[in-house]
Amino acid sequence: MSNNAAVAAAAPAASRFAGFSYNASTFVAGLAILFGLWWLSTWALSLNPATSRFASFGPGPAFEATWAMIEKGQVQKAIWASSYRLGAGLLIAIAAGVPIGILIGRSRWFRELSNSPFQLMRMISPLSWEPIAVIVFAGWNSAIIFLVAIAAVWPIMFATAAGLAKVDPAWFKVARNLGASSRQIVTEIIIPAIAFDVLTGVRLALGVAWMVLVPAEFLGVRSGLGYSIEDARESLEYDHLMAMLLVIGTMGYALDSACLALIRRYSWHKQ
Amino acid sequence: MRGSVNWVAGMAIFFALWWLGGYFIAANAKTASFSGFGLLPTLAAFPELWQAGKLQSAILASGERLGSGLGIAIVIGLPVGILVGRSKLFRDLSNSGFQFIRMISPLSWMPIAVLVFSSWDGSIVFLVAIAAVWPVIFATAAGLAKVDPAWFKVARNLGANPVQMLTQIIMPAIAFDIFTGIRLALGVAWVVLVPAELLGVTSGLGYSIKDARETLSYDHLTAMVLTIGIIGYFLDTVCVMLIRRYSWHWSGA
Repeated sequence: MSNNAAVAAAAPAASRFAGFSYNASTFVAGLAILFGLWWLSTWALSLNPATSRFASFGPGPAFEATWAMIEKGQVQKAIWASSYRLGAGLLIAIAAGVPIGILIGRSRWFRELSNSPFQLMRMISPLSWEPIAVIVFAGWNSAIIFLVAIAAVWPIMFATAAGLAKVDPAWFKVARNLGASSRQIVTEIIIPAIAFDVLTGVRLALGVAWMVLVPAEFLGVRSGLGYSIEDARESLEYDHLMAMLLVIGTMGYALDSACLALIRRYSWHKQ
Repeated sequence: MRGSVNWVAGMAIFFALWWLGGYFIAANAKTASFSGFGLLPTLAAFPELWQAGKLQSAILASGERLGSGLGIAIVIGLPVGILVGRSKLFRDLSNSGFQFIRMISPLSWMPIAVLVFSSWDGSIVFLVAIAAVWPVIFATAAGLAKVDPAWFKVARNLGANPVQMLTQIIMPAIAFDIFTGIRLALGVAWVVLVPAELLGVTSGLGYSIKDARETLSYDHLTAMVLTIGIIGYFLDTVCVMLIRRYSWHWSGA
């Protein structure tokens, strides 16, 4: 009897472990294939005398350069500078986007009147604001934060509005009938209901912000991931260039995975 | 009717706020040199830019780069997306590598693109393509995953050949998802195109903005920014219409 229960308890745990180890092995195998193809293509470059000077694009030199740049603290400094700009821009986008999104979701008037100008402004490519941002803001740092924020605000705004539109109005009635205060309605109904959608919007916003951050750092500033790439290009240090690509890809992947984990944590759609 | 009235009213409010902002900038002696940012100078700049041919040539140059980049992204993204959607082995093995490359900010490829491609034009097309290919791949794969396997059985039982299978089952089933992917790809390509044109080239919308800033002609600057918004809005609307046209999720809607 107890034996059966132990087996029954162990079976899902075992299959979960099997699923985990399958995922982990395909994850590692996939990355191994990617780096193998990278190594192969730069190896082919090194064989041809006309292109052999580009051999430092290979994974070997790139990993060595990454390690050297970590030891010198260059990678940490670039990550720190870029994270500050990314974080500040995303925070501003969330602080502006969530309330406006709630307004769009709740007020039909506001939704219909704001739709055409918001769509027009959304389709202004974020970097087009750069000359205006540089004039309006005193420092390049704040101009970059503005560019990140104006790129990231739209997905958060529209995801919040879409999330609110899905909330069943009966929930508000039930909560009120059970004696919920308006504060409790916000904390117990609205926030849990739209957390999933807001986080989905934040994930999309992060993707766009990441695309905007690097070109924004090409201009003006002397710190951050974008500047490091520009710097490596100008000094023809191709191994440093590839090292920065590795750092950008790894950091972006980590941030995206963190968003995905948060989205799963707050998902109530499939439970 | 109500929709178009609100559309016009929304735009009117937007332009009124812009006019008001420009009025205050022009009225203040400290900021009067920036009065070109106002609505009226911006609108006045359009005929100037048109007569000089700058508007048309910028749109043409950017349109060509955007079109080629998106075209390449679709040609590569569709087959790869079908492979991701149909083969579990390919999906599981490609996932980590694709996610990693996807999160490399597209403009980071710029130095490599400039070395690999002989011209700046080619590099910009490459940057647009590498940014736009991911939404196409993932939307195609997601669309294919939703196709009910029973449809293939039914079609085969009714005597459909592989060509009919493709044209009668697969294409109508995933057209909606492909256009959704292309819409996302367009948005991303639009984000990448302007900064790519800020570097190196001397044509296109991005270059026009840089040029207007360097010559301090703020009215031309805002006119180009507005042009970018209008073209982006137009292209996005075309995508939305295509998506609606090929949607079978809410039939009749």
